[in-house]
Amino acid sequence: MADIARPKPRKGFRISRGLLPYLLSLPALLACIGILVPFFTAVAYSLQRYRLSQPWARRWNWGENYLNFLSDSSFWNTLKVSLTYAFLTVGVELLLGLGIALLLQKRSRFNNFVSIMLLMPLMTAPALASLMWKLMTNPGFGILSYFASLIGLEDFRWASSPQTAMLTVVLVDVWVYTPFIMILLLAGLRSLPQQPFEAAALDGVPRLFVFWRITLPMLTPFLLTATLFRVIESIQQFDIIYAMTQGGPGDRLTVFQVEAYLNFFQSTNVGRSAALLMILWAITYFLSNVFIKNWLKLREKQRGDI
Amino acid sequence: MRHTSTFERVLRGTAITLVILFFMFPIFWIFLMSFQTNETILRVPPSVVFQPTFSNYAALITGKLETAAGSLEINFMRNLWNSLFLSTASVAVGLLLGIPAAYAFGRLKFRGSEDIAFTLLSFRFAPPLLVLLPLTIYFQKLGLADTYFGLIWVYQLIVLPLILWIVRGYFEDIPADIEYAYRIAGHSWFATFRKVALPLAGPGIAAAGLLAFIFAWNNFIFALVLASADKQPVTVGALAFVTASGIQYGQVAAGIVLSILPTFALALYAQRYLVEGLSLGAVKG
Amino acid sequence: MYDKEKKLVDAYLRGTVSRRSMIKGLGAMGMTAATASVLVNASATRALAQNGFDWKKHSGQTVKLLLNKHPYADALIANLDNFKELTGMEVEYDVFPEDVYFDKVTAALSSGSSEYDAFMTGAYMTWTYGPAGWIDDLNEYIMDPAKTNPDYNWEDVLEGVRKSCAWNGRPGGALGSEDAKQWCIPLAYEQNNLTYNKNVFERAGLSVPTNIDELVETAAAAKAAMNGGYGIGVRGSRSWATIHPGFLSGYANFGQKDLNVSDDGLLSAAMNTDVSKDYHAKWVKMIQDSGAPDWSTHTWYQVGTDVGAGKSAMMFDADILGYFMNGGTAEAGNLAFAPFAANPDAAAPTPNIWIWAMSMSSFSKNKDATWYFMQWVTGPEHDLFGAREMDLVNPARSSVWADEMFRDKLAASYPGYVEMHDVSAPGASIKFTAQPLFFDLTTEWAATLQKMVAREVPVDEGLDQLAASVDAQLKDAGLG
Repeated sequence: MADIARPKPRKGFRISRGLLPYLLSLPALLACIGILVPFFTAVAYSLQRYRLSQPWARRWNWGENYLNFLSDSSFWNTLKVSLTYAFLTVGVELLLGLGIALLLQKRSRFNNFVSIMLLMPLMTAPALASLMWKLMTNPGFGILSYFASLIGLEDFRWASSPQTAMLTVVLVDVWVYTPFIMILLLAGLRSLPQQPFEAAALDGVPRLFVFWRITLPMLTPFLLTATLFRVIESIQQFDIIYAMTQGGPGDRLTVFQVEAYLNFFQSTNVGRSAALLMILWAITYFLSNVFIKNWLKLREKQRGDI
Repeated sequence: MRHTSTFERVLRGTAITLVILFFMFPIFWIFLMSFQTNETILRVPPSVVFQPTFSNYAALITGKLETAAGSLEINFMRNLWNSLFLSTASVAVGLLLGIPAAYAFGRLKFRGSEDIAFTLLSFRFAPPLLVLLPLTIYFQKLGLADTYFGLIWVYQLIVLPLILWIVRGYFEDIPADIEYAYRIAGHSWFATFRKVALPLAGPGIAAAGLLAFIFAWNNFIFALVLASADKQPVTVGALAFVTASGIQYGQVAAGIVLSILPTFALALYAQRYLVEGLSLGAVKG
Repeated sequence: MYDKEKKLVDAYLRGTVSRRSMIKGLGAMGMTAATASVLVNASATRALAQNGFDWKKHSGQTVKLLLNKHPYADALIANLDNFKELTGMEVEYDVFPEDVYFDKVTAALSSGSSEYDAFMTGAYMTWTYGPAGWIDDLNEYIMDPAKTNPDYNWEDVLEGVRKSCAWNGRPGGALGSEDAKQWCIPLAYEQNNLTYNKNVFERAGLSVPTNIDELVETAAAAKAAMNGGYGIGVRGSRSWATIHPGFLSGYANFGQKDLNVSDDGLLSAAMNTDVSKDYHAKWVKMIQDSGAPDWSTHTWYQVGTDVGAGKSAMMFDADILGYFMNGGTAEAGNLAFAPFAANPDAAAPTPNIWIWAMSMSSFSKNKDATWYFMQWVTGPEHDLFGAREMDLVNPARSSVWADEMFRDKLAASYPGYVEMHDVSAPGASIKFTAQPLFFDLTTEWAATLQKMVAREVPVDEGLDQLAASVDAQLKDAGLG
């Protein structure tokens, strides 16, 4: 690849070539670097026994908060619930988002309008959307419960039953965030080069084969970007679950952020809350590292191909 | 082009109808509710037959909310304005900071570029709650608490990584030869960036900006904790309809409709960019 | 104000003219009912201004409040002009919706923000705020005649309510003890009793239940008569708020406690006794048989909305929730109120109470001026105004409960409300043990109830597990 910074400008202000990229990325970095200060403060909190309601008992206990998790069944439950939630939502959203993107792939006025219209759930703030879903799934007034009873599900309890609570919050998450994946993938699909597809069509290659062997591989970078952002957000889900069930029934939906939120804002157990969130941070960091490594590799490869 | 059979057309039609039903029905229902009083919303079983009323919108716009427990003052329009201002300003700042950086990462490979890019993205990994308490304390000390400036700064955590990572892909995909040729012709680096790279990545920038706008718009916790009542966005403001005499569903619905409208209008306007623009390889095809 | 109007208002205050004729009279002089109420109060304020206290001492200063979106806050705001006139002070306020209100308070206080001088709070929250050093002990002000006006009449505040706001800060320390600190001052409070739909009860030939067994039966019978609705509304969300209303009121009626306090001040779980298990079993069965199908997501909004919309036959929850549901809803005017003692052997109900109160931020830079506001807003004059003219129910002062005009207003549109209050008020107080883990333990308690109702765990086993977990957490926190 040609480095376009190479030719020296003949006139005007000269910036050393090596310095330029640093200068360009510096403002963004500086704007964000401030976050490191509260971040490390939070790391320090996670290494303390620190409850706001017992200030006299505050002291360093180093890894104790973390060690306690090992024998804490509610922590393992949180981990399990969070991963299940992230896996289910991202999985369903990817499949559905890809399907819709394929349906709308052809450029037409109708398809364009539908794709924008489908963004509306994404524009509804999750905190408010959940309030509405709660109403729609209310056993008496709720339209969805009414529909459910029409198709024979007389006593379907949505978020209030341990059996269907996860299903319900996943449904709301899918409703809100599938459009995000859909729009990324749709843009990706429409940008794919036409030649391979035309060639395949000429040769009469079966379409399923084209999809698996041409479309999907070429779409992978888009899939990775979309998945990356969704995984990060999904494993940190709070708004929807808290508004729908506050983590219940029982401990069915006590995902990381809900648990940490309750620990912080209600119990004011800052130490445990920070330790929980540090673990969540580590998981997110690890997952995105994997995604980005693959993303970079794929892009290198793709660039090599063309 | 291949010939599509009738069977396939029917299948596609059915699928797209189902998709629209699933995603649009709740929106449609919210829209209907925004024209109803609480009494007609809370009927068993629910029904689409009702006498439409504009009282919800009237209440939101005039700021007077009539409930069983008397008249309440609400400031929804102020919340709406705050949302608009905070999101727009954050995205503008995010673009200003993010585009040069995205260009640097995408185009000018340099030592440590991937590490810095990853660091920038990793700011998004930090769960908001984690940094919230220390952040409030530091903001208090710095005098940034309860200022728009402070909020816009914090919002960069939401918008900047998104802009950076989407826009960067575009810059990478602009064929280097075009820029190279332009520079050979004797133009400065900055002129090349402005005249060639920026316009070519335009759709991507618009799309990333719009998505960032949506995410900033939907944010809830930062403004709640860091600002006083007069700087709260709609996401917090709409909760004011959860009153002592019950949840005013009609008003929440009207609030949602009003809060979707600006973003939706923006998305319709930027339609072309949004759908075409997110394609990382827009100019390759 | 003009003389003629002033005379009319004063006559009304003396009781020689009825409220309606006063408003009519003022209307003839071109005044609306709303203006009339504020005028009435202005004359009460004038009386206050003449009690020899230096009300103008902090004239020109500004106090900023953090308020929860609530009728109590509305009453406060409506009467604010009178305070400003009385003292020459300025009052600013931020109002936040209840869903996020306490998060906002915690965030503001934990960061040491000096933005708010005083704020609304519940008594339970002060068990965190007090030990954390975020709020001041108000005894220093109440007991200081130089700072508090002679008509404040602290003893007039209902004893159970007043003491429920005072705690010595020792985990397990009795509320309202000799060495207790007054962390907050009540604005108004809620008792937990029955609100029932009298039409449904009449139609089904039901009588008001008087103990837990009757409650379970009546709820089931009511459900059968409801035609699609359900029998009884109680809260069920995974939150401390599920434990504190009806549930704990009935629980305490059997003499049961949440925690034991040993002589050397150590705490241990007390909810796995036989009596407790029996009570839990009945409560769980009641929800399974005749509670809301989506009980586990019910906060007070749903409990109230359903009884107001005619979806449930009754609720065992805050009396004022029933009060608000008796107007502007589908069942407006059909709701009636009754005291409830769960234990057949108990002499009287023992409702646990929720208190909306005012606390003073320790970070305030203007405490003396803030206290001027606090003694006014919790004083007899504002309490009476709020109770008569706004929805400041239940007022926390006995003088207001003795006020005929207020009692008449309640009796006219809220059948049984006054009687219910008078029967259960003597036993009304906070039944929890004050300690820093309050929210951890009650949230877990609620989660356990959810598991029991969903039949994921049997009642006695669930309670034993809960008690074990509570003990472990108390030990870990150095309290047990």
